[in-house]
Amino acid sequence: MDDHVGVVDDGGINCNGVLAPPSLPQKLIIDTDPGIDDSMAILMAFQTPEVEIIGLTTIFGNVTTEDATRNALLLCEITGCPDVPVAEGSPEPLKGGRPRVADFVHGSDGLGNIFLPTPKAKKYEKSASEFLVEKVSEYPGEVSILALGPLTNLALAIKRDSSFASKVKKIVVLGGSFFALGNVNPAAEANIYGDPEAADVVFTSGADIVVVGINITTQVKMTDDDLLQLKQSKGKHGQLLSNMCKFYRDWHVNSDGVYGIFLHDPVSFVALVRPDLFTYKKGVVRVETQGICVGHTLMDQGLKRWNGSNPWTGYSPVSVAWTVNVDEVLDYIKEQLMKP
Amino acid sequence: MAIPAEPKKIIIDTDPGIDDAMAIFVALRSPEVEVIGLTTIYGNVYTTLATRNALHLLEVAGRTDIPVAEGSHVTITKGTKLRIADFVHGADGLGNQNFPPPQGKKIDKSAAEFLVEQANLYPGKVTVVALGPLTNIALALELDPSFAKNVGQVVLLGGAFAVNGNVNPAAEANIFGDPDAADIVFTSGADILAVGINVTHQVVLTDADREKLENSSGKFAQYLCKILNVYFAYHHEAYSTKGVYLHDPAAILAAINPSLVTYTEGVVRVQITGITRGLTVLYNKQKRFGEVTEWSDKPTVKVAVTVDAPAIVKLVMDRLMDS
Repeated sequence: MDDHVGVVDDGGINCNGVLAPPSLPQKLIIDTDPGIDDSMAILMAFQTPEVEIIGLTTIFGNVTTEDATRNALLLCEITGCPDVPVAEGSPEPLKGGRPRVADFVHGSDGLGNIFLPTPKAKKYEKSASEFLVEKVSEYPGEVSILALGPLTNLALAIKRDSSFASKVKKIVVLGGSFFALGNVNPAAEANIYGDPEAADVVFTSGADIVVVGINITTQVKMTDDDLLQLKQSKGKHGQLLSNMCKFYRDWHVNSDGVYGIFLHDPVSFVALVRPDLFTYKKGVVRVETQGICVGHTLMDQGLKRWNGSNPWTGYSPVSVAWTVNVDEVLDYIKEQLMKP
Repeated sequence: MAIPAEPKKIIIDTDPGIDDAMAIFVALRSPEVEVIGLTTIYGNVYTTLATRNALHLLEVAGRTDIPVAEGSHVTITKGTKLRIADFVHGADGLGNQNFPPPQGKKIDKSAAEFLVEQANLYPGKVTVVALGPLTNIALALELDPSFAKNVGQVVLLGGAFAVNGNVNPAAEANIFGDPDAADIVFTSGADILAVGINVTHQVVLTDADREKLENSSGKFAQYLCKILNVYFAYHHEAYSTKGVYLHDPAAILAAINPSLVTYTEGVVRVQITGITRGLTVLYNKQKRFGEVTEWSDKPTVKVAVTVDAPAIVKLVMDRLMDS
């Protein structure tokens, strides 16, 4: 018997010794550009028995795709799961060109300029989109994807296999800013801005999608006090994360006047494992790919019966996170990160 | 409302339009302002019909002394494919009542010429209340770059700030009508107060209010009740609401009495291309960006954020019934 299925009652033990719960853990691929808050989310995910990480796929964003791959391999090693496959994604957005890399937020190494040694493990032989298609076809209806960077790899997977959207269990996207300011410019959020064409492909693909925008994630902050608690905790990766966060925290002070950090990626992970801590609205989401508002995410809230058709007409709605239980999400994140 | 010694001079740039008609009548019944002219624009109807309706409404009001200057028939980029909202206001723009043609004539000057002339004549004293697409205002700015500083204030009905639009999910009708003109106006440096549908959607005239208007002996109230049917029918169908939005009257009253709204200040840019053409994005400077953006170093405008809706509905009712 394939050890991925069939073991329903005792759950089993994850690669790093975390005891899985009685029910089957959900299979998860994290598409990521680590990234400091990505690292937090990834280390949390490895500590969470409800999910089984079957692979990481990498993308540009906080760093180049190449650096994202190196950091993803490092994170797998650090957490004791060096055998988890890391499939490298596209080095550039769908329309080509050099991607925008947010090294001023995450440091030149993407991990807050702590310059860890090179990982021993090697990346998976296939590309991220091939890996995504392969796993989703192998376990139709079972694989969830947490997308923490620009959506190029997912769009390529959708283009590669027309059944991908219907076979993937769920895609939780960190991206967009709904009826709120962006973080690259007033109109656009960084992940969507990184590849607006890809984002529009994903949002209109018909897959079961939950989008968590920065209008939600910027409500959940770890303050300087919280960061100190993490540093002093017995958390397995508390020290490492606290070191990484210094650079990230200083950027927040400068950019937003926030003495602490936004937990964009960890909050999105929580939306996957604890969807009950959010409320959602359903509507068609399109992404602007031209002009000064390129990267803008616009959702039709369905408040009006339109006269005739428009660019939102005829697409499947997605779930847009609408409110968040800030205290419980923060508690959940802190608890996971401080778990010995 | 305390009446100032000298009423504020206003020019209404308008595309009548059922709610435009209400707004014009409210302005004519407001002692705080002196309507020194109407300029016309496409939107609810084509510009030619807007001019005809403007002349007609002034005749109904007995105010043929007020000049009507006809505005542009095309967008600022000479676009001729206009979106006309006849399904909201009726084919004649006034609820399909087929009123007889007006006796009066438009003046010889274009809307833009008239706007520039009046702003120069009374520098800093003229408030332009723009109730349609902003082509005429942009043309006035092109015609005379000092218009931005000579005009007192431009109060404009337009935009959907952090809410869905009403033409499509991205765009509000007036801005969608001429996004290029709107972006010119918003970034012109003039003193601008934008009243968007995020605010005007709170100002609802209910079915019960209309009954009150119907039962009053006010001349304007009586006239409006005839033309309001089409507008009510559209709202029932499109929004499933028991009432109609008072977009234009809310904007007029914001000009008449600024204390009826609160506003924030920031840079507004308009998307002129793509699927979100006509989208208005306000940057109120609460966040700093790492890079220079299309919003950097542009003049700020005022954008209405809250509105005293009950007070506006009451003022509209009172002034229409007392006529």
